[in-house]
Amino acid sequence: MRKFRPLIIALLLGLLVWSALYAQRRTRRGMDFPFQESEDAPMPNDADEKTEFAFARLKYPNWKSNDRMWSMRGSWSIDYPKADRQFVQGVRRLSRLHVRSVEHVVDLESDEIFNWPWIYAVEAGHWDLTDAQCKKLREYLLKGGFIMTDDFHGSMEWDIFMLSMKRVFPDREMVDIPNRDPIFQVVYDLDKRFQVPGIVNYPFDQTYEYDGVKDNWRGIYDDKGRLMVGACHNMDLGDAWEWADSPQYPERYASLAYRIGINYIIYAMSH
Amino acid sequence: MFELLFKYPYTVYQKGSLVLQTGWSVWWWVAATLLAAAVVGWLLFRQWNNGKRAKAIVLWTLQSMMIAIVLLLLWQPGMRIATLKPQQNIVAVLLDDSKSMGLAEDGSTRREEMIKTLEGGLADGLKKKFQVRFYKMGARLERSADWKGLTAQAPVSRLSDGLAQIAAESASLPIGALIVMSDGGDTAGGVDRQTLATLRSRRFPVHTIGYGRERAEKDIALMDVQTPARALADSRLGVTVSFQQRGFAGQKAKIVVSENGKTLTAKDVTLAADGAPQVENLLFNAGNAGPKTVQVAVQVLNGETNTGNNALTRLVQVDSRKPRILYIEGEPRWEFKFIRRALEEDRSINLVTLLRTTQNKIYRQGINTPTELEGGFPSTLDELFAFEGVIIGNVEANYFTPTQVELLQQFVDRRGGGLLFLGGRTTLADGGYGASPLAELLPVNPGERRTTFQRDRATVELTTAGRESIYARLDEDPTKNVERWKKLPYLADFQAAGTLKPGAVVLAEAITEKKGRLPLWIIQNYGRGRTAVLATSGTWRWQMSQPLEDKSHEVFWQQLSRWLVGATPGRVVAAMTRTVFSDERTIPLRAEVRNKQYLPLTDAKVEARISGPGGVAVTVELQPDPVSPGVFLGEWGAEKPGSYLVEMYATRAGEEVGRDTVSFRREDGVSEAFHSEQDRETLERLSTQTGGRYWTPNGVKRLPEEITYSEAGITTREVKDLWNIPIVFLVLALLRGSEWLLRRKWGAV
Repeated sequence: MRKFRPLIIALLLGLLVWSALYAQRRTRRGMDFPFQESEDAPMPNDADEKTEFAFARLKYPNWKSNDRMWSMRGSWSIDYPKADRQFVQGVRRLSRLHVRSVEHVVDLESDEIFNWPWIYAVEAGHWDLTDAQCKKLREYLLKGGFIMTDDFHGSMEWDIFMLSMKRVFPDREMVDIPNRDPIFQVVYDLDKRFQVPGIVNYPFDQTYEYDGVKDNWRGIYDDKGRLMVGACHNMDLGDAWEWADSPQYPERYASLAYRIGINYIIYAMSH
Repeated sequence: MFELLFKYPYTVYQKGSLVLQTGWSVWWWVAATLLAAAVVGWLLFRQWNNGKRAKAIVLWTLQSMMIAIVLLLLWQPGMRIATLKPQQNIVAVLLDDSKSMGLAEDGSTRREEMIKTLEGGLADGLKKKFQVRFYKMGARLERSADWKGLTAQAPVSRLSDGLAQIAAESASLPIGALIVMSDGGDTAGGVDRQTLATLRSRRFPVHTIGYGRERAEKDIALMDVQTPARALADSRLGVTVSFQQRGFAGQKAKIVVSENGKTLTAKDVTLAADGAPQVENLLFNAGNAGPKTVQVAVQVLNGETNTGNNALTRLVQVDSRKPRILYIEGEPRWEFKFIRRALEEDRSINLVTLLRTTQNKIYRQGINTPTELEGGFPSTLDELFAFEGVIIGNVEANYFTPTQVELLQQFVDRRGGGLLFLGGRTTLADGGYGASPLAELLPVNPGERRTTFQRDRATVELTTAGRESIYARLDEDPTKNVERWKKLPYLADFQAAGTLKPGAVVLAEAITEKKGRLPLWIIQNYGRGRTAVLATSGTWRWQMSQPLEDKSHEVFWQQLSRWLVGATPGRVVAAMTRTVFSDERTIPLRAEVRNKQYLPLTDAKVEARISGPGGVAVTVELQPDPVSPGVFLGEWGAEKPGSYLVEMYATRAGEEVGRDTVSFRREDGVSEAFHSEQDRETLERLSTQTGGRYWTPNGVKRLPEEITYSEAGITTREVKDLWNIPIVFLVLALLRGSEWLLRRKWGAV
């Protein structure tokens, strides 16, 4: 027993340090955490306006896992609807696009998606599309639709994202989008991009989640060299849109997120 | 019969003049007749004055007429007429030796029938009275000893040239008359006015003898084939085939359009009634750039007597140019993206776009250089005239400066460009176009109401004009095309474009729930160019809401863009009167040359560089047309049949102005087959207009006698007595007999 005493003391000390640190973390995420999600976004007066463009959010089935915590995480409705409505306010102000003030939720079950040639999928690292949905998404993209995916992090979420995407396009590669691609130039010159963190990273002394240290700008091109899929991996543009009005969310991240979003929309409407 | 009653041929009375041989004045005859009538009347009315006045008048009339005739005979009437002196005049006999004379009908060819006529007495009859010269009439008129050298193999019969040659020879020869023995098929354009005028001035009677059936029993004959002379690569081309048939009414036939034996398109048709003109339209793809020789044929059916008139060849110059269209869009719209995508698939169209992404940013695509259009929409003539077509999207009228508006007007009117206006929330009436000078360019009066644009669904239906337009063809079959338009997904939006201007044509209408039918696709010609309105920005749904393999959206926009720029001229425009010259050697050349401002250029040097079969390579300089500024004319003789390429090249002060290429085809002998029926009308007209007569082969026995009465050649004048012609005695007998019968009836004998 005496033989194990140093080990037991070390374990107890370790437990003590971890307890202290854990207590601090709880405090940061508790009453001092400034980003409280709410689904009660006010409905704008012009919500019924018929416009050229609406922020179309893709509703998809979630990835099922034995890990209860993992399964709970991620959903098509993350940041909804505040991020959508706050982002389109910026689009209205910064571009000539005629945009509706409220989002439009679409899924891959009906043909409604074909009325919305630009769609946004959040937490795509947690989607699990059926074969029929994969087929419809493929048809949608080949006809001229565009999908922007966001807010998925690390290698595991990437792998899950690609499990469905590989069934959408088994014959096409997901590649890094070069800086010279028009999607980074169409409205704003976005040669110097950086990782846009989610609020989980508050106070943003770290900008990545899991092992997603580096921001990835990837996409899938069609036969004529036009992007059909814009995968924003290891970043959380949705949070940046949602919390752009928060003093605690750094302006430089929100600004970049808006510029990226606008570029992706205008690119999709011009290529 | 005529000669039995009147003693002399009809020609004597037709050509001669009436004379009284006694030399007594005709007034004496009138006076004597009146005196005699008065005496007879006095005697009659004195006798018949008791209620028989009417009968007396009848008898008086009969007696007076008889006295008048008898008295006239005392004055010795006669017909003075010129007659050819025997054996001192030449009769030229023109024998048609063209291929159509070799056609067999009822067991013998027309050539054989012609020889039969000559050997059956006509030649001998003529030789008794005149010196006879025979001529073979083909591509050239050749003197021939007789008719034995006829082969019926000449590729063409130039009747007009032949007559003109005879007229020229007559200056030194006593030619008394011409006889044309032919089926009337002058395949080189008919008898021209000048030749006809010469014949009339020389008083040559042209007698024509017609051969061949006037109506074929069993035949399908192409009458015309119309194709555009030029087109852009990959364009959809329309072929209008006109034909008629006899003997196959109600049967099925196939029309085939082919190139070098490869079928481009085909259509099964049901043949119309005998002799009824039938018109069919076919479409085919122009394919790659270069001259395209297209053969259009109606399938030969069993029993056709003439199979040489079932096919015609046309030449289409498929341009290698890639016209540039400038599309300015006032705000990001789905229509913009999908128009770009549709035209990206068109290798013949170069689309340059300006997209106003933000209030002060314009995104340029399709530009040639980094500096091109960096100032936005062109504000100089050079910049704008570099394009062949312009599309204006959702751009408010006051976005354009007055200079740009004027440039746009000149672009269409003078440059000959195409201008298309799309619908949108800030364009047409909603964009202030009603109060803008741009309204002048629109095919509609947009009005000033500001709520014309609706983001509501609308379906589309072609109008009658749209059904006939090749630019509105999503399907080559006209019926299927109409159905395909009806089945298109609804448009995302529509706009009330306004009221139509005179001359505007609506190709398609939008069917809306609240506004009913609205003109959707309206076109018009404007100056040298054309303008159109497509009052929607919602055709993109045709792409997104139809199966991936459906190409309706792409085809629609590619067709529309071809309408926009297909006819936009360059600074040098080469033109041919037609693309196929059948049996014609003289090829007219025409070029229209304009300066950078597209104003007529009169001091250019214009050359036509012609290359053709057998290594033919010549340069012909064209001369300015004194009547039309900027137009240069010339002609060249193409001896060899085959396809020719003509590059018109214009320079000014050593600098190239521009160049343009056209092609044409020379054919020999093909058109002969298209004149297989006897053209009696032409032969009769020729005879009538020159004082001759049309004869059938069986009725030529009296032709030598009739020719005698001609004023051409060496003639003598003679007077033919009329007192002893049978008709006079017959009339006298009738008058006297009638009087006798009436007197007997009325009891006055």
